[in-house]
Amino acid sequence: MAMENKKWLTSLLCASLAVSVSACGPSKGASPSADPSASMGASAAATTGGKEAKPQLHALNIWMKDDYNTYPVAKLIEEKTGYKVKYDMLPQDKANDKLNLLMASGESYDLVTIGGDRSLYGDYAKKGALVDLGPLIEQYGPNIQDKLSQDSLDALKIDGKIYGIGNRSSAFASYGLMIRTDWLEKVGMQAPATVDEFTQVLKAFKEKDPGGNGDKGYPFTITGDSPMVTDLMGAFNLANYWTDIDGKLVPPPLNPGFEGYLNYMAGLYKDGLLDKEFAVNKDATMKEKFTSGKIGVVSLGWWDIPTVTDALQKNFPDAKIAYLPALKGPDGKMGLGMGGGFDRISFIPKSSKHPEDAIKWINAKLDDDLFKEIAIGEEGKHYTVKDGAYSPILPAFNDERNQANNYLTGVDEKNYPIYWQARVKKDMRLYEGFNYLNNVLPAEARLVDPLALAPSMPINSKNSAAMTQLLNDYMVKVFVGEEPVSGLPDFIKKFNATGGQENEVEINAWYATVKK
Amino acid sequence: MNTEVQVITESGVGPIGRKRARKREGRWRFAWRNRDYYLLLVPGLIFLFLFKYAPMYGIVIAFQDFNIFDGVRGSEWVGLEHFQKLLHSEEFATVFTNTLLISVYKIVILFPIPILIALILNEVRLMIFKRTIQTIVYLPHFLSWVIISGLFVTILSPSGGLVNQLIEALGGKPVNFFMSNDYFRSLVVFTAGWKEVGWNAIVFIAAIAGIEQEQYESAAIDGAGRIRRMIHITLPGILPTIALMFILRLGSVLDAGTEQILTMYNPVVYNTGDVIGTYVYRVGLGKMDYSFSTAVGLFNSVVGFILVVAGNFISRKLLNRGIW
Amino acid sequence: MKRTANDWLLDTFAYFFLIAIGLMMLLPLLNVFSKAVSEEWAIVSGKVGIFPVGFQLDTLREVVTSSTFSHAFLLSVGVTIVGTALSILFTAVTAYPLSKRFLPGISFVMVLFVFTMLFSGGLIPNYMLMRQLHLINNLWVLVLPGLIGVFNLLVIKSYYESLPEALEESARIDGARTYTILFRIILPLSMPVIATIALFYAVGYWNDYFGPMIYINDTTKQTLQLYLQSVVMEANTSTALTKSVEDMMNMSPEGIRSATVIASTVPILVVYPFLQKYFIKGVLIGSVKG
Repeated sequence: MAMENKKWLTSLLCASLAVSVSACGPSKGASPSADPSASMGASAAATTGGKEAKPQLHALNIWMKDDYNTYPVAKLIEEKTGYKVKYDMLPQDKANDKLNLLMASGESYDLVTIGGDRSLYGDYAKKGALVDLGPLIEQYGPNIQDKLSQDSLDALKIDGKIYGIGNRSSAFASYGLMIRTDWLEKVGMQAPATVDEFTQVLKAFKEKDPGGNGDKGYPFTITGDSPMVTDLMGAFNLANYWTDIDGKLVPPPLNPGFEGYLNYMAGLYKDGLLDKEFAVNKDATMKEKFTSGKIGVVSLGWWDIPTVTDALQKNFPDAKIAYLPALKGPDGKMGLGMGGGFDRISFIPKSSKHPEDAIKWINAKLDDDLFKEIAIGEEGKHYTVKDGAYSPILPAFNDERNQANNYLTGVDEKNYPIYWQARVKKDMRLYEGFNYLNNVLPAEARLVDPLALAPSMPINSKNSAAMTQLLNDYMVKVFVGEEPVSGLPDFIKKFNATGGQENEVEINAWYATVKK
Repeated sequence: MNTEVQVITESGVGPIGRKRARKREGRWRFAWRNRDYYLLLVPGLIFLFLFKYAPMYGIVIAFQDFNIFDGVRGSEWVGLEHFQKLLHSEEFATVFTNTLLISVYKIVILFPIPILIALILNEVRLMIFKRTIQTIVYLPHFLSWVIISGLFVTILSPSGGLVNQLIEALGGKPVNFFMSNDYFRSLVVFTAGWKEVGWNAIVFIAAIAGIEQEQYESAAIDGAGRIRRMIHITLPGILPTIALMFILRLGSVLDAGTEQILTMYNPVVYNTGDVIGTYVYRVGLGKMDYSFSTAVGLFNSVVGFILVVAGNFISRKLLNRGIW
Repeated sequence: MKRTANDWLLDTFAYFFLIAIGLMMLLPLLNVFSKAVSEEWAIVSGKVGIFPVGFQLDTLREVVTSSTFSHAFLLSVGVTIVGTALSILFTAVTAYPLSKRFLPGISFVMVLFVFTMLFSGGLIPNYMLMRQLHLINNLWVLVLPGLIGVFNLLVIKSYYESLPEALEESARIDGARTYTILFRIILPLSMPVIATIALFYAVGYWNDYFGPMIYINDTTKQTLQLYLQSVVMEANTSTALTKSVEDMMNMSPEGIRSATVIASTVPILVVYPFLQKYFIKGVLIGSVKG
């Protein structure tokens, strides 16, 4: 028995000798179709020659809970486009590392779809790992040119060439301050409209204790990893990370409003209006405290409303919650930051064996009817439409279209935001929250991220995560009083030295080119 | 075949006989005569070289500015730059001290507990009870740190957590354990113990199971009580295992529990809780700097290896046996 | 045997100590279990402690009956069984010569093994190696790289060293060869330690998440642990590839996550009680002094 294994292992050893010679070589050369235009011409000729068999495509996507290959949308796409596609997926954790390995070792994927991370995409494009899609789109992508706006195509250009197709996300506000309106009634106050009024409400919550928590509750809490609280940040002119100050984009520490924000939050903490343990809070802890009636105000995304409402009303049948409007700050500033940019980016690695078929496939999926059917299904089966507004039919929609967004490669930018609301209407409470932040509040209460469609910037993408961490850490320390607000100049020095300075220079070099 | 056996019976048996044989006939002949042993080693060695040493060249990226698309051959060499970056970074002194302190606390406090559990379990005669406890104590090992620390946040919460309710009932003031630089390291050590002591006891339980029963019987006849038997038979019986585990534990002295601390700490306790692993994660977050992380890993490995070699040396001097 | 006052004290201490520790250690799993069978609202608002609130089995059923889960489950069972069996064989065989300290060069080989506990080539060369060996997306990649765990190797080697020399000597005098001695005498006597490393290996293979994460891309070859980690990590919003709002809406509720943890942890927990019968002392008596 042991001998048999030994023989088998010996053959492995031989392989290992081969490995040690070539394992570490650069794998770029492994790509079979380094020059896409060459192979493209050949296959274009083949197309005109009649109906040839469509090749099987190999796609790599980000993690999803269901199996990509058996989910109903996969079948639909295969039937309608005629392309059989084998989907692989990245893990949830360490997805970037894994993708790097796959890209660097030249695995032959025909299409890779990742989250909206432009830095990773830009990195690959710069390293020459991606196929230039320009000529392919020109030849095989009429729908792509038709459905995607020039803005979206331009935002993904690297050195003037386009290597990726993005799923433009509709710009909307996603977080707001959620308040217990029944508490407001109990203390006899109106929903606050300014930061000062907000403070008064918190004080009333503390003094009159409408929740009856004694010292076990707090008026307001946030999580330890997001000290930049939507709405409150807006009141200090910090609605988005980068803010245009006198024609230049500046990060929070250099924003004149930042000191005011720090002072304000540190004040809340000192006065016992902000949860003393907020630094420890994770998202779940925050919701736990809110739904168990210990907290009056939290920052909440509208997709969480149904879960939170369910839990809260089980515990307190009379509990009512609502979003606060955009609060006005001391200088009259206000605003909720809006997301933007892309939900997904798809690109074709150089190692792809069928780049032109991949583009044809993407193009076919953007066909009016097919796109609609992929995104929200069939009318009468998955959704109903009334006065141009789409509503889902449950549970069919949830069962067969919940994950549809994972199959989109480029979206019909005119219609998708309309279709998309069918998703939001899966639960009317969720829709109401969405609707309040995005339709009821006046337009000037929502501020578009100036960087939503910025191109990938190498220095920023290298630094940004660490910078955000540095900033968050500092803010938490200031809030809890471990560092005085007066130390801000020192922090700015450190911030700039760690990468803030070079980020700012890079961003503004770009900003100067787009500003009218 | 027969002659060989005879040679062995003449002089190759027993430690002294073997030493003499090895001297008399020379290393190579002695080795050849024992070739059966070496043959048994072959599959293991093939495994070792194929799966462990063949990829070992990857260590050099610690001395490069590695770019995954250029590979090891195409990347630029930067010498010790990454090590200097680590050692000269502003926070390194704090981070290194924290790492050592937490790690040493963990070793000093947590290393003996599994041994204690194994010894005490050994005194339990009621089989069902013994097996139930054995199974229960190893359960926390299977839950991830995210879950365990979430649980502790709840238990230790100053507003309504179990522990603080107790403190208040006894007339004390509630303590915010997770945000206190006074308590954070203790918290890390305690929770690590909670999670792993039961699991770590298994190897000692198994070692105790290997001790010959007869030793106990003759000691009992000599009138030795159970505590004396525990100290004079059980403990020496598992001493080699204890030494082995201790030496191996030294090897990971610079890993103070990165994953654990990442799920538990917050900026307020960086002063006491930030360790090498978390620091690297924090400042390198998202950068995917393979070279720097390899350099840090290599630094940890070298320190660990030196300690293992030293530990082995001491063990051989004191106990006359070591890992090698 | 007569019980002395000392014995009585010792027993009392032992039981109290163990019950206290046992209760403490039972907490976290009970908590996760309770979450798995409680109603979502109770979990969200932190009402679930040791006991379930609003007992229901739907969440657990939903997890267990999903095709992705059951597929991953079977795969993990297979990998664990095959991996554990092969690992025990290779480790037990390799450890035997390593326990013979009189062999020239054996210490050096031991150092070679221990060295790999501390140093490794890292992610990238390992991936390249597996690629060269055509092991990417191949289930053997989940077994082969971990075939011999050095820690387990040391544990079993240390055990061999503690076996009485007389055993082997008498067998050799009877004319037995090394292989026979190993398989017929040494291994049967090593059941306590083999049971131990079997447990370590089984848990290791079952819990291995890094291997499948890096080497498996095929959606049909996801192991349970990879699935579990992905479901649990989903809650961690700081994942590298940023999430869109659609992803946020599709996130699994906490109850599903707890149920997945329970459904994928309980199977491996039953291994230990099963192996415990080999942890019985006194296996050696008789056979040694035969």
